[in-house]
Amino acid sequence: MATTLTINNLTKKFGRLTAVNKLSLTIESGQIFGILGPNGSGKTTTLGMILDVVAPTDGHYSWFNNTPNEEARKKIGSILESPCFYPYLTAVQNLKITAHIKQCGTSNIEEVLKQVNLYERRNDKFKTYSLGMKQRLSIASALLSNPPVLILDEPTNGLDPEGIAEVRDLITRVAQQGKTIIMASHLLDEVQKVCTHFCVLRKGVKIHEGLVKETLEELNKVEISADFDQDQLTNILYDFAGTEEIKANGNGALLVTLKPGFTSHEINSHCFANHVTLKRLLTQTNTLEKEFLKILKEHD
Amino acid sequence: MIDAIKLEWLKIRNYRVFWILLGMYLLALTIIAAGGVFFLEWLKSLGADFNGIDPTIVPIYDFPDIWQNMTYLGSFVKILLAFVVIISVNNDITYNTLRQNIVDGISKKKYLLSKLIFIIVLAGISTLFLFFTGMITGTIYSHVWEARFIFDELEFLGAYFFDIIVYCSLAFLLSLIIKKAGFVIVVLFLYTMMFEPVASAILTNAPYFRDSFWSGLVAFFPIQSLNNLITVPFGRYVFMEIQDNIPLKTIAIASGWLVFYLTMIITILSKRDLK
Repeated sequence: MATTLTINNLTKKFGRLTAVNKLSLTIESGQIFGILGPNGSGKTTTLGMILDVVAPTDGHYSWFNNTPNEEARKKIGSILESPCFYPYLTAVQNLKITAHIKQCGTSNIEEVLKQVNLYERRNDKFKTYSLGMKQRLSIASALLSNPPVLILDEPTNGLDPEGIAEVRDLITRVAQQGKTIIMASHLLDEVQKVCTHFCVLRKGVKIHEGLVKETLEELNKVEISADFDQDQLTNILYDFAGTEEIKANGNGALLVTLKPGFTSHEINSHCFANHVTLKRLLTQTNTLEKEFLKILKEHD
Repeated sequence: MIDAIKLEWLKIRNYRVFWILLGMYLLALTIIAAGGVFFLEWLKSLGADFNGIDPTIVPIYDFPDIWQNMTYLGSFVKILLAFVVIISVNNDITYNTLRQNIVDGISKKKYLLSKLIFIIVLAGISTLFLFFTGMITGTIYSHVWEARFIFDELEFLGAYFFDIIVYCSLAFLLSLIIKKAGFVIVVLFLYTMMFEPVASAILTNAPYFRDSFWSGLVAFFPIQSLNNLITVPFGRYVFMEIQDNIPLKTIAIASGWLVFYLTMIITILSKRDLK
């Protein structure tokens, strides 16, 4: 697989504050990489550095195996926190500037405007747009040159639910085309839904890196309830070979942690064989949110 | 190079404020540079005379003197052109489009180049405009009409061109430092029209400074060094000796300032984080 981005010991200090501290990352092409972290953890600063608008204090990065940065940026579509366009120009005029900088020709402009539902308003000035429309214009601008890499910084910030769904839809669509996406977010649900890889930043330090899928599979818990005496049910469950631990979770249900290799299907058969009909059997999936909070706690 | 020009062109082509300001500037330039006859007639109507001479026959539009006269007067309104530069630079800062441009894939160097070419083109338009206005006005009023007079002393147009470039570079630098267009305009206006002239006047005329080392510094002030490129030409009409060439020393001082402004602009652009 081709390497899209290599970051090596990247550091940024603002006076006495170290916003990003010796960050190293490698992002391969085709990955959807989520950069997680609480507010102020250095996500935006990192993106700023790899896009050459924030000067690193130390360390370096390289795009597409040492392509000159300026050329590399032409192949990257970016949607940063707030949409930045000339308010006195129309959508088309603004995109002409983007096309000129990206050297990608203007023939795509109508197409991308249709994609983000701005075609009808293409000749209206940017300043007359609502926030959602502005955000959509930055999506159009990012897609204009059909770039192999997309960088998204809090892509759903300030959007209404419909807008959020649209952006998510867009990310999935783009990802299916085999593009690389680098995305910073504090919305874990979002990263969980679309990302393949993720890392966690805290106070500028990378404290975790991994696959989203693996992280979510780690947990093997089943929530069980039945119209049956709880102590007896507990005993029956302890007889099951796959039971690791049982906890009452307060609302009359039991939370069973399974040993690796066992499934909820087997626990159901075991209970049925012991003449217990389960009212509820719920496999709990891990959420990135829980995992994220756990990771942050571990590093406190 | 062409890319850099086109980038700036795409930004201003449909920007009405730019065209209004440029139009106002050219209008002001025409009035101040070519309206001298009306001014002299007004003087006459007030009953003024210069040592018994009727003001309206003062040959201010005779070739080649017309070039020094017009460029001297024209340089008074260059601040309007500086406003155009300020607005253009500050738009990119206020709307955060400077960052967007860079993220989209130009280097800071290219951005700088696009703004410098913008300044050079503005100075070029202004100089050409003044040249044609001079040719027209001279055709109407000049008492001499011979190529050797017409094209003599054109170096004043060169000085005028240089004057605008240096002044607009100062405006560019201030825009980067102060970031708020309105405030930059006020600062540049007050400095050009009041602070430096008052300081210069004190240093040159106050008894305490007049003959000291300090009065010598005035020639090195940023605005004064530009004003010294084209000095007041009207003394020649009352038989006073005037400076009718462009002193090398002034060119050197003004060039020094230009180098300083550009160095500062480059330093700020390359060091500053754009957020």
